[in-house]
Amino acid sequence: MDDKEIYEKVKEAIVEALGVDESEVKPTSVLFDDLGAESLDLLDIVFRLEKAFDIKIPRGGIQQDILAAEGISEQEVIVDGALTELGAQKLRERMTEVNPEKIKAGFRIDDIPTLFTVQTFVNIVKQQLAKK
Amino acid sequence: MALGTDITEVDRIRRIAQEHPQFLTTVFTPAEIAYCQSKKNPYQHFAARFAAKESVMKAIGKGWLQGIAWTDIEVVTLPSGKPEIRPGTTLAVEMRAQGIAGFEVSLSHCREYAIAVVSAGVAVPDKKGR
Repeated sequence: MDDKEIYEKVKEAIVEALGVDESEVKPTSVLFDDLGAESLDLLDIVFRLEKAFDIKIPRGGIQQDILAAEGISEQEVIVDGALTELGAQKLRERMTEVNPEKIKAGFRIDDIPTLFTVQTFVNIVKQQLAKK
Repeated sequence: MALGTDITEVDRIRRIAQEHPQFLTTVFTPAEIAYCQSKKNPYQHFAARFAAKESVMKAIGKGWLQGIAWTDIEVVTLPSGKPEIRPGTTLAVEMRAQGIAGFEVSLSHCREYAIAVVSAGVAVPDKKGR
């Protein structure tokens, strides 16, 4: 499956879950800010993507995922639920589709979903397809 | 003390549950499913419990993307009718890490919406010292 095909299927899932117009959905669209998504919608999108691509998207542990290959302890990147300087750097490296200006030290871990763009889901799908 | 609150559309819960059969078992424990399905309008009760779970996640500052499973936050209804949060293993670990002794929860719903408010904090002994 090529990148264009993946993108079109992700776009279709997002359009159906959020009830937005296709023309509103761009790779850079931020789910919460631009498309009006809520947390329940993320779950709806995840279920749709799992069905459309026959994959399983991990439900949790995003911070461990960010650091998985680095061998860095959680305490070095997250303190009191917020990113350290190193944590912000690692998240920027991981989420290259997100405006790096938005990811700074002090950013709350529980606010990470507010950064998600359409491209974030394309990347997640590509990662899971590569594991199949 | 930390607070969390959430409002959930009953119809959104109904639609997602009907479109994705795995939704109920991903989000709710078997006991919650049995309780809600025993009610005349189950999706109002599912929506209230979903709002409670989201509220707990807001109160502790961690959500499902950080490894807290929805089923790790169980809403049980006491014989008095009062709802109570019963933590699973991962949530209990997080509570210990944050020094949270327990949660208080209040739920309400109408036909369209369900709302929950959750407070998390250290238990204060009552006048009898309990």
